[in-house]
Amino acid sequence: MEELLQALVQGFLMGSAYGLLALGMGLVYGVSGIVNFSHGDFVSLGMYLCLAIYTALALDPYVSVIFTLPAMTILGALTYRYLIKPIAGRQLLMVIQLTLGVALLLQNGLMMAFGGQPTRVPSMLESKLFIVGDVIMRAPHLVAAGVSFTLAAALYVMLQSTDVGRSIRAVQQEPRAAALMGVDVGRVQVLTFAIGIGILAIAAALLLPGMPIQPNQGLRFTVITLLVFVLGGMTNFVAIMLGGIVIGVAEAIGTIYMTHTTGQLLPYLIFVAIMLFRPQGLVWRS
Amino acid sequence: MRPDFYRTLLSPWPWLVLTVGAVMPLLLPNYYLHILTVTLIYAALASAWNIVGGIAGQISLAHSLFVGAGAMLSSALLVKLGVNMWLGMLAAAAVSAVIGALVSFIDYRFRLGHLSFALITLAFAEMAEIYVIGTDFLGGASGLFLPRDTGDITQFQFGGGRGAYWVMLGMTALCILVNLAILTSPLGYNLRSMRDNENAAQAIGVGLLRNKTLAMTISAVLTSIIGTIYARYLTFADPYLLASPVLTIEIVLFATVGGLGSAIGPALGAFLLAPVGEILRGQLGDKLPGLHYFIYGLVVIGVILASPGGVWSFIKSLGRRRS
Repeated sequence: MEELLQALVQGFLMGSAYGLLALGMGLVYGVSGIVNFSHGDFVSLGMYLCLAIYTALALDPYVSVIFTLPAMTILGALTYRYLIKPIAGRQLLMVIQLTLGVALLLQNGLMMAFGGQPTRVPSMLESKLFIVGDVIMRAPHLVAAGVSFTLAAALYVMLQSTDVGRSIRAVQQEPRAAALMGVDVGRVQVLTFAIGIGILAIAAALLLPGMPIQPNQGLRFTVITLLVFVLGGMTNFVAIMLGGIVIGVAEAIGTIYMTHTTGQLLPYLIFVAIMLFRPQGLVWRS
Repeated sequence: MRPDFYRTLLSPWPWLVLTVGAVMPLLLPNYYLHILTVTLIYAALASAWNIVGGIAGQISLAHSLFVGAGAMLSSALLVKLGVNMWLGMLAAAAVSAVIGALVSFIDYRFRLGHLSFALITLAFAEMAEIYVIGTDFLGGASGLFLPRDTGDITQFQFGGGRGAYWVMLGMTALCILVNLAILTSPLGYNLRSMRDNENAAQAIGVGLLRNKTLAMTISAVLTSIIGTIYARYLTFADPYLLASPVLTIEIVLFATVGGLGSAIGPALGAFLLAPVGEILRGQLGDKLPGLHYFIYGLVVIGVILASPGGVWSFIKSLGRRRS
């Protein structure tokens, strides 16, 4: 029972960060109709930027976000403008292959700059624990969940009630009509891609404390993000956060309760099961 | 009956290419022959994938599972039980066919969208890798070493370098031929109509389940056989290479860059990119870790930006402009 509670809590906390990862992907998919397979490698980039800043200035990852957020946002905008935009509207698979090319660049750029050995970036919160009853919670996980939900809520409010948000939603619903209403569709697409990558700078700092990092970890993050993103019905914010929690809990239960192999299989099994019986994902109105 | 198919078969070009291909081992040093053999393996894999991913337009990411079955299962049967590898190859192909049919059935039964299908097949492939690595009979994490290749054809041994090359040349030709045959047959028209509009295709009487299953099964069997040959060629069945979803990503990359849905495009993509990757690794692999893949990434992005519709349609448009 204690173990189950522990697994649920830990899965919930990690899962909310996975949800945040998938929100960026959902935002980009909704507006540009592209699926970014370099998503996880941008997370890696965010983490290694924190490492570089820590090595140079001894700043905590949480503080480094001040630098990594604008850097990644600009990089996201440039990536969309100069690499993805020229072939946007072509076969989905071709765009996916291009983002895989970007993933190769990022992953191996990091490999050249930092070497392939696993490293860690220390943080002030890393070893702090919160104990409620029998459940042990690591402080970085609490921070990750708190920030993820706050950010998701902030994004939601931004989409609902600011001009930028309205133009993003307009393009999401009907790009042609949005263009006729005077929305600069191209600009909105660059902007959402930049926001989508910018979110990853924050997510990277949230996931970093206590996690060993390696340049070739990107694909793993991409796959987790994709699972969550599809579970969440691609664009629905609440369902994406829920999908994150489902995958997070499945992972936690798998590691705590089962043998190594089945434990690793569990998130995929649950994903397949949910997709078969609810192909629209965790969205309640189809 | 199928004029396009026979016209292509009777034109001199394929036979010229095949002849030039067949004399290559007599001219090339071992290192380049190895690169060419690996290229042929990927060309065959990309062509086999094209039947499902290109002609039928279903982004299957499960193909590493079929390569893995072909490589790991036939090797395990040989090493652990002493089963002749020809039989192992057939057994693995049968297993792949069943899995392929099952995947098609799931797709049909639950009417999955493109992204869901891609992700579910990816989930299958990920689970297969985890399963292979966790199963001792299939070699576990350390893989399986095959007995030395003595050139005994009855034991699925082709005598190393040259023999393996010729076998792969034949296999690649077969895969392209199957693509061509499907494209010019009713099956090909059915698959393409399903790709372009599944509901409309069903409305005019195209049987979705039958056609999807047929395409996936043909593709799975070819892929599995290539997997067996690949493992035999490497004399080491490595789960991290042969059962890894990363392999599928490479196959899809070659097929897409070359030109989806055409008979020759996917193989062309492999011939364009695979040697670049191999040569870069050979030249730069030991200099600075990551550099060769970095340059490879630049090449991939460059080729895609230069011919966003696929290299084959780019070449065809050049030809049209000239004439």
